[in-house]
Amino acid sequence: MELTITKRDGVKEVFNADRINRSIERAALGLMDPISKVTQIATDTHVTIYDGITTEELDLATINAAVQNIKEDSDYDRIATRLLLKTVYKHVLGDYGEDPAQLEKVHKEHFADYVKKGIENKIFDERMEKNFDLPRLSAALDISRDELFIYAGLSTLLNRYSVKDINQKAFETPQYCFMRVAMGNAYNEKDPTEWAIKFYEKMSRHEYIAGGSTNIHAGTPSPALSNCFLLEIHDNMEHISKSVMDVMMLSKASGGLGASITKLRAMGSPLSSNNTTSSGPTPFAKIIDVAIRAIMRGGKKKGALCFYMENWHYDFPEFIEWKHNAGDDHMRMRTADTAAYISDEFMKRLEAKADWYMFDPKETKDLNELYGKAFSARYNEYIKMAEEGKLRMWKKVPTTEQWRAILVALQTTSHPWITFKDPINLRALNNNTGTIHMSNLCTEICLPQDKENIAVCNLASINIAAHLKKKQIDWQKLEESARLAIRQLDNLIDINVLPVAEARKSDQENRAIGLGVMGFSDAIEQLGIPYDSPHAYDFTDKIFEFISYMAIDESANLAQERGSYTHFSGSGWSQGMVPVDTMARLEEERGVAIETDKKSKQNWLDWDSLRAKVKNGMRNATLMAVAPNANIGLVAGTTPGIDPRFAQVFSRNKISGKYLDINHNLVTELKNMNLWDMVKTKIIELQGDISSITEIPAHIRDIYKTSFSVSPYAFIEVAARAQKWVDQALSRNMYLDDRDMEKTMDIYTAAWRKGVKTTYYLHMKPRHTAEQSTVAVNKSAKLGKIGFASVFKKEEAVTGNQELVSVAAEVVKEEVIEKEQEQIIDQKKAFTLPVEPVKVEPIKVEPLKQISEPVFAKVQTQLPTPHAEGQHYQEKIIDGKTYRVHMPTDPQEQFLCDGCQ
Amino acid sequence: MPILGKASPEDMNLHPMHYQWAYDLYNTAVRNTWFPHEIALKEDLEDWNKMTEDERHAVKFTMAFFNPAELIVNRSIALGIYPYLKSPEAHLYLAKQMWEEANHCVAFEYVLETFPFDREKIFNVHLETPSMKAKEEYVMKYLKRMTEETLNIETPEGKKDFIRNLVATNIVMEGIWFYSGFMVVLSFRQRNQLRNFGSMIDWVLRDESLHLKFGIQLLQTALEENPELLTEEFANEIKSIIVEGVNIETAYNKDLFPNGILGLNADYVNQYVQYVADRRLTELGLPKEYNVTNPAKWMSTATDVLELVNFFEQQNTKYEVDSGHTKKPQT
Repeated sequence: MELTITKRDGVKEVFNADRINRSIERAALGLMDPISKVTQIATDTHVTIYDGITTEELDLATINAAVQNIKEDSDYDRIATRLLLKTVYKHVLGDYGEDPAQLEKVHKEHFADYVKKGIENKIFDERMEKNFDLPRLSAALDISRDELFIYAGLSTLLNRYSVKDINQKAFETPQYCFMRVAMGNAYNEKDPTEWAIKFYEKMSRHEYIAGGSTNIHAGTPSPALSNCFLLEIHDNMEHISKSVMDVMMLSKASGGLGASITKLRAMGSPLSSNNTTSSGPTPFAKIIDVAIRAIMRGGKKKGALCFYMENWHYDFPEFIEWKHNAGDDHMRMRTADTAAYISDEFMKRLEAKADWYMFDPKETKDLNELYGKAFSARYNEYIKMAEEGKLRMWKKVPTTEQWRAILVALQTTSHPWITFKDPINLRALNNNTGTIHMSNLCTEICLPQDKENIAVCNLASINIAAHLKKKQIDWQKLEESARLAIRQLDNLIDINVLPVAEARKSDQENRAIGLGVMGFSDAIEQLGIPYDSPHAYDFTDKIFEFISYMAIDESANLAQERGSYTHFSGSGWSQGMVPVDTMARLEEERGVAIETDKKSKQNWLDWDSLRAKVKNGMRNATLMAVAPNANIGLVAGTTPGIDPRFAQVFSRNKISGKYLDINHNLVTELKNMNLWDMVKTKIIELQGDISSITEIPAHIRDIYKTSFSVSPYAFIEVAARAQKWVDQALSRNMYLDDRDMEKTMDIYTAAWRKGVKTTYYLHMKPRHTAEQSTVAVNKSAKLGKIGFASVFKKEEAVTGNQELVSVAAEVVKEEVIEKEQEQIIDQKKAFTLPVEPVKVEPIKVEPLKQISEPVFAKVQTQLPTPHAEGQHYQEKIIDGKTYRVHMPTDPQEQFLCDGCQ
Repeated sequence: MPILGKASPEDMNLHPMHYQWAYDLYNTAVRNTWFPHEIALKEDLEDWNKMTEDERHAVKFTMAFFNPAELIVNRSIALGIYPYLKSPEAHLYLAKQMWEEANHCVAFEYVLETFPFDREKIFNVHLETPSMKAKEEYVMKYLKRMTEETLNIETPEGKKDFIRNLVATNIVMEGIWFYSGFMVVLSFRQRNQLRNFGSMIDWVLRDESLHLKFGIQLLQTALEENPELLTEEFANEIKSIIVEGVNIETAYNKDLFPNGILGLNADYVNQYVQYVADRRLTELGLPKEYNVTNPAKWMSTATDVLELVNFFEQQNTKYEVDSGHTKKPQT
């Protein structure tokens, strides 16, 4: 059949396979074995196209054909990325021929036009041209950095962050996008061009990436650059109504929200205006839940908000049901998230097996403002009043019962998230202006708010993996990144345009920023450190202590240059405190020791002189917060935040599409060991869990675990170590394989004991997933059933039919199951390697490990002391003589030996 | 207790349990419970407005098939499977499966009501399109022998009829036709369209995978307990039932994609159908018929690996009800 192509101008022409092949070939330049890859993509493209397909669709078909092969070889990722880039270049720069040098030239030359056209079309601020030396900026553009992208990252950047033209097509190349963000944060510098180039250098190399809202709005005429807002809803109709409006306005400005509803009186509480009673917080929350659905944040993300409620609220039991999928729809939040704000008093009562009392906030107004010892004292007074009959509404349950109810809801609906009020407030340096009533949408922000202030935070994240050099952290580069990121974030605040007065006020008076970290797992994998090892915990300390130090120092520098933030006086900073100093305060108020190693792992950092410097002034109320980075982590092609690898291969379901994520570090290691082709299908079949593939050396399997096979205590330990140095908090995703309630309760209690401020989503491993499509599946063989095969077995002697014999071989008993697997592998090969079948040894598979016990064993958080036993040698008998074989004495060294061999 | 036969009063006791696997599948299915209203379709509507006529046709055509098909499966279970099983644990499972089929029907109903479809037209497609009618007639042909021309389940011929119907409904309709339909819908999500509808299909597919697990284990058990059925002649007949199902689907796919859309055309879908059919044949111990490769490699992203959801962007399709309630509170 002859195929025709419909060109952009509507003209039809005959499909030219050679042209497609050549364009794929160009995208495969410099890769291993390009011919087979080009052939593969061309073949796959061909089966998906149809007569009359448009050229645009043909481009897409080629990209999709490359993408669907990524699981075979990460080179396909490179090819898909380049093919996608080509479509962007063509659209933004016009026809540049196929010459790379010409492309580079056109890319630089077009930059000034791009800025001017943006201003003309009112997409860009006039300062984008007025404040900058455009030729100098275009000279700094480096199109070769587009090679740093992985396909999912580029696609995310283009879908979510890039500016589009009026037809929703790309208006800028990725490098223009980074430069726009750099410029949009540099207007007010003395030499904006110089600083824009510095910021660009960092972002275009993915060393740090600005937060989502900043990427979307920087450079635009009224830039709302903040990511997070935290607002309190007060107990009167005017304020509730105003809050609905604020939520809508802030959502439109593309921010995620936290909203505390603890102050709303309980259902049944009397109203003063007449003699009726209140309907409680639920119906009002529902209004907001519906409102955020209507908003597309910045036109690109759906509105998002998390409700916070303290668990002493009378309606708290109803609150924890909000996310259930069944029940009265008016009492369920379909869009908003929920988080429980839990006090130390509750956790201590849990340990004491005491009762828990719930009150109507109308009668216990001050509880929401109190924390630490003051909260406990007042709470106990209210208990006394309740028991004496002096309160109208109250109830009590065994504390364990409520804890269990919260965690059961968490397991079934992933809500409410568990956050701790006291560590948040007692470890804050910025709450001299009032209590912190909540965290935010992603549980990493800890800022105070009241009726006059909607807290605002501005984010960016450093990519640790981009700071590796020869198996080490490049500390100098990391310092540079931290300092520049702080400066860029501080600049942002004076450019920011926010739609709500209370948010503007809080933003300007506190100048709160949150520098985060991503690529943590990516980095430790490359360093050969397993996530659940004491070395990883010490590495966490090292990284966070260092970044914290540099961030604080830079903010203090900026204070000297630009002045302190409005509420500096009276803050913890003004008393010469740094975040790690607040650990003592938490312990003192809690009356219980925090079970986290408090030592510094960077002894050379001079914290004392920094304390003295901080006392003289700080530019920003807060400096660090580790966001989940689900999107900017993807843009940078690294692991998000401090999360472990979800699995070695998995899919991400995102607004911008569904992507296959394959661990490139692992692929590289396996390719080096010549194992990749042998195990790649097995890895998909095992859903990215390589623990049972014995061909892969054990030390590699230790490093590349899935998040469900890492001990949950390891997540807590990493968070606790990082939290020591971080003044705000961290979005701590949790992953659990085991549904045992006692264990879950213990894990979350451990988080509290270690001083963790917040936890985020709880991901439960699904027990049942859909039948796999692209790997061989035989449900009967798994059951040891052969069905009709026995019929043909009987016939076999007579007919001697080879095909039937092989089917008949799928018999029950164990020794035959191996054959079964051999056959499965053969079948797989048939389509995974269509070009030239290679003889592959059958894969041996261990029975899946019973992971629940080892995984749930408490992790070892300290390194064993070297020389502890006095014996650091082994006795080995060689040729009948005993030799003392000395072992490395530094456990870290011993570990690395194992890790890199 | 044999699995096939007329249920006697003793068979109304769950214990002693003879078919633990059926009970386990029941429990898995219960944890899997979901409701259509958990999916919000607003953004999909925006996609719909941007789709081409051929793309819309494919979606409507698929919906037109699935909506009645779920009810046909239910009928087949109620009349052709449930009455001929003795095992109460299998009855428990089938009761849950029937609720799931009903739930799928309502889920498609929910989509039909939300999208700007001409509903009357869609409802009539399966009555007016020969290729779709052929699919329904195919299933009804085997079911009819279980209902109107009832044979005694205690006899080998009766048991054969049972197997024929089970293969037509469970292996062909649910295990091949539905799978190909799901692939078609999920292909839209692969291009970042109809993502929420895609999430719903994830849920349906997860249910259907269980149905198939149950059906195959039931079939294997019935064959094991009735070795007299294991003749070459009957094996070949079963194979031909499956091949017939594939042929009917080939005609249907031509109507589904008269022209083809980006990423899909009739040949492509047919190759997928053949690939899945070979898998089913192998699962029943029958030789492969087609020996083709899976054209939809992207399905590894769509269904084969665990999914990490950015919760505030997408509906998570991995939640389970009743988790954690395994132990009683100790207070």
